[in-house]
Amino acid sequence: MSNDVVIRADRLSKRFGTLTVFEDVSIEVKKREVVAIIGPSGAGKSTFIRCINYLHTFNQGTLEILGHTIVGGHNHPSKDVLQDIRTRVGMVFQTFNLFPHLNVIENITLAPVEVKKVPRAQANARAMELLEMVGLPHKAEMYPKRLSGGEQQRVAICRALAMEPEVMLFDEPTSMLDPELVGEVLAAIRRLAKEGMTMVLVTHEMQFAKEVADTVVIMADHGVVEKGPAREVLESPRTERAQSFLHRVLNPEEVPDPLEQEVLPIGGRR
Amino acid sequence: MQTLWSAWMQYLPLLLRGTAMTVELTAAALVVGVLFGFLLALGRLSRVPALDTLATGYVEVVRAIPVLIILFITYYGFAELGLVLSGITAAVVSLGGFYATQYGEIFRGAILGIDRGQTEAATALGLTSAQTMRRVVLPQAFFTILPPATNQLSNLIKDTSLVFTISVADLMYQANSALSVNFLPMDMLLEAGVIYFIFYLIIAKVLGRWEVSVQRRRN
Repeated sequence: MSNDVVIRADRLSKRFGTLTVFEDVSIEVKKREVVAIIGPSGAGKSTFIRCINYLHTFNQGTLEILGHTIVGGHNHPSKDVLQDIRTRVGMVFQTFNLFPHLNVIENITLAPVEVKKVPRAQANARAMELLEMVGLPHKAEMYPKRLSGGEQQRVAICRALAMEPEVMLFDEPTSMLDPELVGEVLAAIRRLAKEGMTMVLVTHEMQFAKEVADTVVIMADHGVVEKGPAREVLESPRTERAQSFLHRVLNPEEVPDPLEQEVLPIGGRR
Repeated sequence: MQTLWSAWMQYLPLLLRGTAMTVELTAAALVVGVLFGFLLALGRLSRVPALDTLATGYVEVVRAIPVLIILFITYYGFAELGLVLSGITAAVVSLGGFYATQYGEIFRGAILGIDRGQTEAATALGLTSAQTMRRVVLPQAFFTILPPATNQLSNLIKDTSLVFTISVADLMYQANSALSVNFLPMDMLLEAGVIYFIFYLIIAKVLGRWEVSVQRRRN
């Protein structure tokens, strides 16, 4: 692995029994690169991104990450390897997953204090810096329940950043948010991209992907259907599957009503 | 009226001596039950099939047997096999062993009730599974655990009275020995009942306060 490549997934496959979640997915993420994974629901995007920090196992393929190599199949990596990967890779979830019994600053400092044994005062100071960065220093003492979705997600980003990760994974960070709260979360992610953070981002925000991502990967039908430089893939996709997906996403009003197209059997729909 | 109260007062010191034993038994059996119960819950949630089977088997069998039979097996049965336990030890082992099945199921249910996203978030941050359990899962399970755990504690307090059958000098034992001397069963049993009730009331109040104070801190 050249020094520049932080993550290389080589033909990763994941199955639950006979159900294939994704097959032969290969991506490469270089240092300071932002990779956006887009595609229709059920394509395996979320499951794939969870394989990168081994929240999910995979059945086949090889994952090289931060100097570690994990081969899919029966051999689990050792606890030390997983711990090293997870402390160096931050993750932000679709559902925020803040700890409801801890206030904002405790949420952010839990992992640095428990895992990295950072002194409490230093962890608190760093947490306040991060909260300043996302515009929430005045919410430090609040419990998650009292925050809006957008605020919760910004705190979740701070929580991941508090471990000083080398890579950040975002699993649909804005899809649970009310439309007017999406912007504030995207702004925080955009800032990280500008600062040169290496990121993998599963998203439905096409415009945002085009703006911040260097590389776009389109996953559909359990595999990668197209990948390449963001603008190229999003503006002039080569494969038909990518074209039809992007056309539907960018022109939702043109998708025909299935009721007007199909001849319905007597007794209702289908 | 005068005679009634004088009998209650006369035997109060004796019953209070029995109460001390009841409190000690309750405390010891509670500690055993909670600790062992937590291990049973971890066993049932374990990905190691042998641990799961062992814990599940224990819970299913023991909770279906009357406490009195467990107590007699521990005291008389084990002695027959050469393991002679004192009455108090047998009482703590059998009550603790039985209530572990109750507490184990309460813990297991509460742990399973925690959203998977919570453990995923903790794991992704690099917390070990022990740290995740201690800092993320158990504090959240607290509210689910406390009401049924208080409930089981009231059952435990009452079940300690069974130990009088193996001559451990608890509250029930002292009430029974008093009434066999003074022939006032109604008075002695009522007096013991009132003391059991007061004991439970104090514990329920303290636990209730605790729950409210933790809840207030979080809101």
